[in-house]
Amino acid sequence: MKKEFIIPACRKSLRQFGAAIALAGTLMIPGTITAQADSTQKTKPEAEEAVSLLSPSLELVSVQNTDGSIDLRSSVKTKIKGTFIKLPLLKIKFLYVSDTAEKELGFVITDRLGKAVFNCKPGAVEPDKEGKLHFKAVFAGNKSMEAGEVEVMVKKARLEIIPVKEDSLLSVKVKLSATGVDTLVKDVTIGIFVQRSFNPLKLGEGTTDENGEATVEIPSKLPGDAKGNIVLLAKIEENEAYGNLEAKATQQWGIPVSDKLQELPRALWSAHPPLWMLITFVILVGTVWGHYIIIIFELFRLRKEEPHPPATATSNA
Amino acid sequence: MELNTYQKETFEKQRPVIETFGKKTWGWTIFFLCWIGLGGYALYLQIAKGHSITGMRDNVVWGLYIANFIFFIGISYAGAVISGILHILKVEWRKPIIRIAEMITVIATIIGPVFILLCIGRLDRLHHLFIYPRLQSPITWDVLAIGTYFTGSVIFLYLALIKDFAIYRDAKLNIPRWKQKLYKILAIGYRGTPSQKRHIRISTNLMAIMIIPLAIIVHSVLSWIFGMTLRPGWHSTIFGPYFVLAAIYSGTGVLIMAMWVYRKMYKLNSYLTDKHFIYLGYIMMVLGAAYGYFTFSEYLTGWFASEKWENEVISKLFNPKEYGWWFLFANVAGILLPILIVAIPKTRTPNLIAFASFFMVIALWVKRYLIIVPTLESPLLPVQDTRIEYVKYSATWVEWALTLAGIATFFLFFTLMSKFVTVIPISEFGDKEKPLITAKEPVHESEIVPA
Repeated sequence: MKKEFIIPACRKSLRQFGAAIALAGTLMIPGTITAQADSTQKTKPEAEEAVSLLSPSLELVSVQNTDGSIDLRSSVKTKIKGTFIKLPLLKIKFLYVSDTAEKELGFVITDRLGKAVFNCKPGAVEPDKEGKLHFKAVFAGNKSMEAGEVEVMVKKARLEIIPVKEDSLLSVKVKLSATGVDTLVKDVTIGIFVQRSFNPLKLGEGTTDENGEATVEIPSKLPGDAKGNIVLLAKIEENEAYGNLEAKATQQWGIPVSDKLQELPRALWSAHPPLWMLITFVILVGTVWGHYIIIIFELFRLRKEEPHPPATATSNA
Repeated sequence: MELNTYQKETFEKQRPVIETFGKKTWGWTIFFLCWIGLGGYALYLQIAKGHSITGMRDNVVWGLYIANFIFFIGISYAGAVISGILHILKVEWRKPIIRIAEMITVIATIIGPVFILLCIGRLDRLHHLFIYPRLQSPITWDVLAIGTYFTGSVIFLYLALIKDFAIYRDAKLNIPRWKQKLYKILAIGYRGTPSQKRHIRISTNLMAIMIIPLAIIVHSVLSWIFGMTLRPGWHSTIFGPYFVLAAIYSGTGVLIMAMWVYRKMYKLNSYLTDKHFIYLGYIMMVLGAAYGYFTFSEYLTGWFASEKWENEVISKLFNPKEYGWWFLFANVAGILLPILIVAIPKTRTPNLIAFASFFMVIALWVKRYLIIVPTLESPLLPVQDTRIEYVKYSATWVEWALTLAGIATFFLFFTLMSKFVTVIPISEFGDKEKPLITAKEPVHESEIVPA
């Protein structure tokens, strides 16, 4: 019984793996999609027998920006042999769902990390009577994969960030207001970040009061760009009612740091070796090779010497 | 070239060796070529299929090839140190053995670096080492040091050969014309004039002085490739002198073995006398004791400090289920055996000294393997859920075939060189009518001191 169970399971797993490899090959080289379709047609009956469809796993997250636009961030992956594989080059359609109908907003092709981000312009969609927004991301499926969809429903809200400078004290005031019944939103935790080279660095967090406001102090010696600008971010992440919200402001509160590449000092880790090492090396190698050259020169002189009178050869000579 | 009686006698004795290429020599040559051919096939497979057909993986990135590389560079010391030091000290008994020593140097320095090339995954990028060298990298130092050392060794050997080439040129040997022409070219017009003798003497002295520090630098740099990393078992301040000493030691062993083979093969008992074996045996014993002291010091400090990762490597070396037996062999055959054989008067014979040298050389090869592999099998970051072959190293037949091909090439070069030049240098006996050491003379400790 056990054997009978394991063998079909292995076969299925192998088939899925084969399908994933074929899919990845097809998707990673856009220009080959048509050719791939043609070649599969020739062996269609065999392929249909061998390949079972993969089930995609879709995720959808909405991020509401201060200007009223909404980023719809979707990602697609599938599980093969216990490992999730991110799926590139898939067409994801984004829809707005109202009480009466579904409105297509547009589509985006997933990148190499399986992500597709759609920016919904301000005013493109209107919330319902309760102030809620309902979005859907849909993958229609293809020869290798089943169709899939995912939905997200959030309340329309607006997050503002207001930089405040009192004497030498720097802070940001953040304000959260919702569209609809509850205008002011209290008891929501908001994180304050500063943008760094790769990811935002968290500076602190605050919880909104009855006015929907929170204040967080900002350090005064943050490195900025060449002009001393720093980008401050306020973020609400994965709130049950409002989902994700972001707001940002640029202030000249940082210490100016030149963005021009500075010449690295001579060191073990830089492109140029320390001077002592270079000098030692040149002296050592120069001395040895200098002697070689002298010896070779001596050998040439040996060759040019006047021939000796006929030699008395060895026993045979 | 005018030869004295002793030179004539020495030359006449070796004349048939360079005049003929007998059936035995052909047999050996074909035998070695077969091994090299097998190595060639293994190399083809390695290039065609990649390094995955070797035992090297992500963790153990060095294996047999690097052990062979260190081994061959090590034995190349024989010529550098024996001929260099003995030349400077004007030790007379060196004369019959220096040719063999210098041949070992040049041949081993040719073969050693080839193993580096076998170990490199992307040979197509080899030239980057010269186009974009980083002076801060011990790898760059190593390439330069070995290149310089090889050039020096070739010059040193050639300087010692010029006079002999002149003798071969003038001897009207029964050899093909191309060989005669080659001797003429290589003799560069040497006629033995006082001025020419002076030039050669100055150049040889200069090279003898230079070749010793050069050899020390080469093997120190080689040790720094290991010592300058923070790996357990490698990061040690005594690695430089330890490597240098081990190299001279193994080189002496190979020299004794080569002498023993040539003495038997070409019946050179009157030149390579018992005393040469005994004197080199004394050198080997002293080096063995010093090598034993370094080994003890190296592992005692590591074991006593009990640093976590260092302890892991040492426990592998002492564990009979891992490398315990090999480590024991490396120390017994590499340290105790040569010392005991030379120290006991009854066992102090050429055959037993050559026997001890043979096991000592193998033990030192094993030691090189034990320096490389157990350390790489002890990664500093824990490796989870990985296949066993990624953590444990086991050499494949491809690596063994290429190793044997390297050894076969070493022997083949020796065979061919001994057919091109006499293994006992004729010109070295220019100033004396008789050799300073004869087979029948008794051995005294005081004779180690230069005459």
